[in-house]
Amino acid sequence: MGELFGIFQGLADGFGIAFSLNNLLFALLGALLGTMVGILPGLGPSATISLLLPLSFKIGSPVSSIIMMAGIFYGAMYGGSTTSILVNIPGEAASVVTCIDGYQMAKKGRAGPALGIAAIGSFIAGTIGVIGLTFVAPPLAEFALSFGPPEYFSLTLLGLLMATLIGGDSVVKGLIMVVAGLLMGSVGLDPISGAIRFTWGIHMLQEGIDFVTMAMGLFGIGEILFNLERVLKTNLVTQKITHLWPGLKDWADSKWAIIRGSFIGFFIGILPGGGAVISSLASYAVEKKVSKNPQEFGKGAIQGVAGPESANNAAASASFIPLLTLGIPGNAAIAMIFAALLIQGVTPGPFLISEKPDIFWGVIASMYIGNAMLLILNLPLVGVWVQLLRVPYSILAPVIVLFCCVGVYSARNSAFDIWVMGVFGVIGYFLRKLDFEAGPMILAFVLGPILENGLRQSLLMSAGSPLIFITRPISGSLIAILVFFILTQVVYRLTWKKPGAPSGC
Amino acid sequence: MRKLTCRLTVLILGIFLMGIAAGPAAIAADKFPSKPIELVVPFSAGGSTDVMARLVAKFAPKYFDQPLVVVNKPGGGGITGTEGVVRSTPDGYSLFVGYGSGHDLVTPHFQKLPYDTFGDLVPVSRISVHSIVAVVRSDAPYKTLKEFVAWGKKKDQVTAAVSTKAGSVDITFQALAKASGVKIVTIPFKGGADAVRTILGGQTDIGGNHPSEVMSHIKAKRLIPVGVALEERDPSLPDVPTFKELGYDVVTVGSVKGVAAPKGTPPEVVKYLAERFKKVCEDKEFIAAMTEIGQPVMYQGPQEFGKYLKDGFNTYGKLIKEFNIKME
Amino acid sequence: MAKWNKIAGCVLFCIGAVTAWSAATTLSMGSFRHPGAGFLPFGLACILSLLSLPLVFGAGKETGRAAAFWPERAWARPLQGSLALFAYAFVLGLLGFVLTTFLFMIGWTRFMERLSWQKVLFVSAGVTAGLYLVFVWFLGVPVPVGFWKQ
Repeated sequence: MGELFGIFQGLADGFGIAFSLNNLLFALLGALLGTMVGILPGLGPSATISLLLPLSFKIGSPVSSIIMMAGIFYGAMYGGSTTSILVNIPGEAASVVTCIDGYQMAKKGRAGPALGIAAIGSFIAGTIGVIGLTFVAPPLAEFALSFGPPEYFSLTLLGLLMATLIGGDSVVKGLIMVVAGLLMGSVGLDPISGAIRFTWGIHMLQEGIDFVTMAMGLFGIGEILFNLERVLKTNLVTQKITHLWPGLKDWADSKWAIIRGSFIGFFIGILPGGGAVISSLASYAVEKKVSKNPQEFGKGAIQGVAGPESANNAAASASFIPLLTLGIPGNAAIAMIFAALLIQGVTPGPFLISEKPDIFWGVIASMYIGNAMLLILNLPLVGVWVQLLRVPYSILAPVIVLFCCVGVYSARNSAFDIWVMGVFGVIGYFLRKLDFEAGPMILAFVLGPILENGLRQSLLMSAGSPLIFITRPISGSLIAILVFFILTQVVYRLTWKKPGAPSGC
Repeated sequence: MRKLTCRLTVLILGIFLMGIAAGPAAIAADKFPSKPIELVVPFSAGGSTDVMARLVAKFAPKYFDQPLVVVNKPGGGGITGTEGVVRSTPDGYSLFVGYGSGHDLVTPHFQKLPYDTFGDLVPVSRISVHSIVAVVRSDAPYKTLKEFVAWGKKKDQVTAAVSTKAGSVDITFQALAKASGVKIVTIPFKGGADAVRTILGGQTDIGGNHPSEVMSHIKAKRLIPVGVALEERDPSLPDVPTFKELGYDVVTVGSVKGVAAPKGTPPEVVKYLAERFKKVCEDKEFIAAMTEIGQPVMYQGPQEFGKYLKDGFNTYGKLIKEFNIKME
Repeated sequence: MAKWNKIAGCVLFCIGAVTAWSAATTLSMGSFRHPGAGFLPFGLACILSLLSLPLVFGAGKETGRAAAFWPERAWARPLQGSLALFAYAFVLGLLGFVLTTFLFMIGWTRFMERLSWQKVLFVSAGVTAGLYLVFVWFLGVPVPVGFWKQ
């Protein structure tokens, strides 16, 4: 009981700190910057935070700088969803799943509700995430530590299988996309053996294909090229824009998706490296499974936006847990925040809560505030974004192309990346023409390296015995879920098909 | 009408171009430095080299006449960013931080680099040395290196988490394996952070890291340092014996972190930089900040630093040859 | 559509085969218990070729679109768009950001969308200025400035 009181005391102190005018301003600044960064292609949250690192010690106070950086981090998540819904371009890997139904909703004139539910869902998820952080952080962090290479392998395998569920009716085509994505993920330096794969001497490919380049090419450019086939006299939206906000029905449909997504995102998001992507995938898969109208998914089901969006925001909150409790950063943006703290003489770790409680609780309190601020910022913006979609496509299309070009160029200062993006654009175009889904491919591309590294590291650990995946409890359970999943899919496919239907795969 | 439109277009284009293209002309100055100096870190932001560079930049305004700006150019294990500095103008405004890392001292033994590590770069100052420390979990059945070796000899193989394949840590552990007679299988990861996470979770039997990566965990008593691979004890871990003291003749220079300029940089510029870096390294607050994060401040001037690096390079070479370490 | 599925299948089969060959010859395979760098890529490439066979042999699902793959030279505009993009990448280093962007916009809006010259110039100048403000001035992204500035 005393512990609970201690937590509330800490939170109260934290809110006191966070509510200072200074810190509120920093939170707002961070949220604004983050949203912009999320919307503008190319510049990711980690790059932005690293640009601001020198500024952070001019601010002087570690609490204020981390509040601002957390704002950027969250804001980028919100912004990334915006582009996914509006123009089908995922801001980061965790937003890919949002593109699927979000963009379809936008094309049907429902961009407003989509953006709105994404914002609201993200807010609720972020709040649930922060509550979770406050109360269950330490034991969860320990749990995250027990994930070693075999667990990452099994989890990623499960994630990949869920990726095949995304859109598309043809299983063969879905699998081909996943395999293709995995192959693309192997381009570049192999961390386990040190060998360089499939670069044909092109220096820029040594680090592998850049996610942003591939995403913009496949999704952004590909979509534009596809739309160019028809001369769109007016604008992108094929149906009249009806409402700007999610309606009561939308809310009723989505609320459970949001809750489920939040919990899924929180628990999976705590895993360093890939947690957010897998949680958005898992949420989509779950929503599709529990839905009464699974065939709506892929055509603009609002749960397909509400669930994954909540998941990736909860995951964002959860990714602070390893940092604040153990001192281990889980992704690039958090690593930046970690460095910023180190430079200011604050070492995140198990002692943070006892040695520097003001920072610990101040950060947590500011996350609540940050989420609220982002909601307040984003909801009015929905109207602005929707207006953007009404720009005639003849102008909008080349502008989007240019945005992509500059965004991609700015990531690595290379025009070569624009070439690569163009190639992916052409690929994306043909994928659309031939009814292949780009989503599974890019998700496999992101998850592939985690899968392969997990496999080879595990086999090194077990001296070659594949039993390691089953004998370790967590990995074993994941494999069991995987098998169960495959079995249900097979049964579903076999029984759902009516006799006499064309032999689609 | 068409002709008029054409002319109009050209006119507009021209005005537009002149407006934008008339950017600030380069101010050629004779006193160094007259503009900010770029510190190129060929690793991603947030890593130990990056943090060190940023700390240096933080305290630099006290001693440098121009600000130091940290720029990250990750890629190729450090080679990409370093090559960028090698090819830049040798005027002292673009410096490489991290001279003496794995890609400088270890990689050239295995593959040819697109530049000459010693010929194309001029050593300016050594700032710190990131030694290689072996750590075990505090709840492991072995608390010292000797206990670990005894335990390991009974097993078919033991696993060690290392940051990169064929990096300085990997090589060191392979050498340790041969020196101690234990079959140590090194498991490479994508960088130090992943490796720390792995040993913290006890996924491998032992881990190899730099003190800065594990200092907070050592202080939290989650990890125990059992040995360092240095000639003498690491100042940031004074209670930890060296491998040599324990009877395993594995000595390396770890990952040396210094500053370098491209070949051809004027000697006066190098002298200026070295002097100022020395002042930073003597600054009490800088030393305190660095010690707090497990990075000992170990300054050396250009000549000594250059020699230290060459010796370090040769030491790795000897280690590789003596223990017949291969990169698969 | 069925015909194009077959073509896609053949292309994928070839890609898989070439990749598998490339992996087998340039990378070390290792073994099942100790996979090397080439192990997974080789396996995946083989699986890719295998998966493409159902497409080649006509198993692609018949969609509602019984219409032609490319009605009425529909490939023309996507082709123009792609070429414009590649041209942008190529010219960017030569002419610098501002000029290339401006030309790109003119090319697109005039020659592909056939807008009037006033609109073309107005929009092109506006977009170029806008992008410059956002990316170069506000965000400080380093952009190429063309050969005359080097």
